[in-house]
Amino acid sequence: MTELVFRKAEEKDIPRLVELNIRLKRLNEEFDPLFKTRDDIAETSKKYFAEAIKSPNSVVIVAENSGRVVGFLKADIVERLFYHPKIEGKIVEFYLLPEYRRKKHGAELLDYAVKMLKDRVEIITAEFPSLNEIAVEFYTRLGFRGIVSIYARES
Amino acid sequence: MSDEHGKLAVKSAPYYGGKLEIVPKIPVKSLEDFSVWYTPGVAAVSKAISENRELSFEYTWRWNTIAVVTNGSRVLGLGDIGPEAALPVMEGKSLIFKFLGGVDAFPICLNVKDPQKFVEVVKSLEPGLGGINLEDISSPDCFYILDRLRQQMSIPVWHDDQLGTAAATTAALINALKLTNRKLNKVSIVLYGAGAANIATARLLEKAGADITKMILVDTKGILHSEREDMDELMLKHPWKYELALKTNRAKLSGQLPDALEGADVLIAASTPGPDRIKKDWIQRMAQNPVVFLLANPVPEMWPWEAKEAGAAVVATGRSDFPNQVNNSLVFPAVFRGALDVKARAITDTMALRAAQALAEYVSDEKLHPDHIIPTMDEWEVYIHVAASVAEQARDENVARNPLNYDEEFVRAKKIIQRSRKLLMSLMDQHFIKPLPKVD
Repeated sequence: MTELVFRKAEEKDIPRLVELNIRLKRLNEEFDPLFKTRDDIAETSKKYFAEAIKSPNSVVIVAENSGRVVGFLKADIVERLFYHPKIEGKIVEFYLLPEYRRKKHGAELLDYAVKMLKDRVEIITAEFPSLNEIAVEFYTRLGFRGIVSIYARES
Repeated sequence: MSDEHGKLAVKSAPYYGGKLEIVPKIPVKSLEDFSVWYTPGVAAVSKAISENRELSFEYTWRWNTIAVVTNGSRVLGLGDIGPEAALPVMEGKSLIFKFLGGVDAFPICLNVKDPQKFVEVVKSLEPGLGGINLEDISSPDCFYILDRLRQQMSIPVWHDDQLGTAAATTAALINALKLTNRKLNKVSIVLYGAGAANIATARLLEKAGADITKMILVDTKGILHSEREDMDELMLKHPWKYELALKTNRAKLSGQLPDALEGADVLIAASTPGPDRIKKDWIQRMAQNPVVFLLANPVPEMWPWEAKEAGAAVVATGRSDFPNQVNNSLVFPAVFRGALDVKARAITDTMALRAAQALAEYVSDEKLHPDHIIPTMDEWEVYIHVAASVAEQARDENVARNPLNYDEEFVRAKKIIQRSRKLLMSLMDQHFIKPLPKVD
């Protein structure tokens, strides 16, 4: 079985991260029309990752197969102003190319991220489109439960 | 050609009022007899079945009766024309079932689009039937429906646009490879078109021993591979194609059909009607003596002589007026004959594969020729051979309620199919069936 290598993302990874992020957002598009991707998604993604890689409050991890990036995870460290536990590691992006799915690589990538965040955060959360049942199943299996719902309508 | 056929069909449709009717098969000499066939006598039969439901396969027509079920969402090349308009096609299919397989098939056209609801409705028909033939249902719903019904029903379920086409294609390919000295597990196969037919063909060829990692599927968006841009969309909307994208094309080749054909041994096109969908110079890019199947109807993706001129060693199409017609009608009557006679609980993929192999081996080495790789419909004994092979396979796989070996089923199938043909002849001889009307 293929072994994936995980590491912190570097600047050189940005073009590939942009590519994978576009795939991720296009996947989200399938779940709700309110996730329609913007035309400037490439430029926005580029800036987004450039900042995240430098930011002390974000963690971007890439999954590599033979030196080629095949997936990534981005988590932000945020303070919960009114609740305990106070510090949250929030997984905001998570993507693996199709051929690396259903082989436990997703769980490995998540594990790696949790280890990196462990000393800095008290809870780990993940956000994704409500209708993404694959994500629901994935996180539930790994011990997560739903604590927030976001409802939307067009104003 | 089709114009004339169409005219006659339209004239005949109201002239005969459809193509089938139900005719009794027990003697009725006086109204007294109804006390046996109907109440009170029939109660004893019902009581026996209520005590052992399996007896319904022996005490009623269930042993030989199937439904040809559609929702009319993808009828022939006509598209979503609705269940009423699908009825003449289902009648025609049922006619072929009876004439070539001796199977009593009746058409059921459902006003049900939702695939989950469709599954529920068809499932509920099980107690009165020996099998289900799904027909003309749009893709990808047809995959969901077939998979679910196969899991949930204890009678054979077959979707002819998938399994029938796949079996006929596999049969033709087995013989084409024999002629060109190739081995199935070594060849590179390009499948052009990723509808019900080719997806099922890819799956069946894998079962037959083809190297799926070397197979390449090409659809309207080009070569399918595991990193194609629409993969995530496919995962949600068409998991069957998604699975194939993950398994096929290990080299992750991208591009269009001409790129896929570079050095390929086999092309199986089941895409959209041609001609001129496939160019001669694309065939020239293939390996030496390639095998080229052009299965779109009514007009193949390119004319067969063009493929030959471009170097194809063996060419097959879906048309009866060209050599090598890859024709479902060679498969489904026989598969159901065999499955029904052993009271099969299912028609498995390996039974479909056995049907394909039987069909292929019916073409003897002496007869095998680039223009004759698959039997024709008028070689009616082929149905008996295929039925017997399928029955035996069902027995070997323990899906037969009434296991029969090859010879036993051969005799039985021959008798039933012969009777069915003679019956029709005698109805015509005795003028219960009128001669065809004249077309102006």
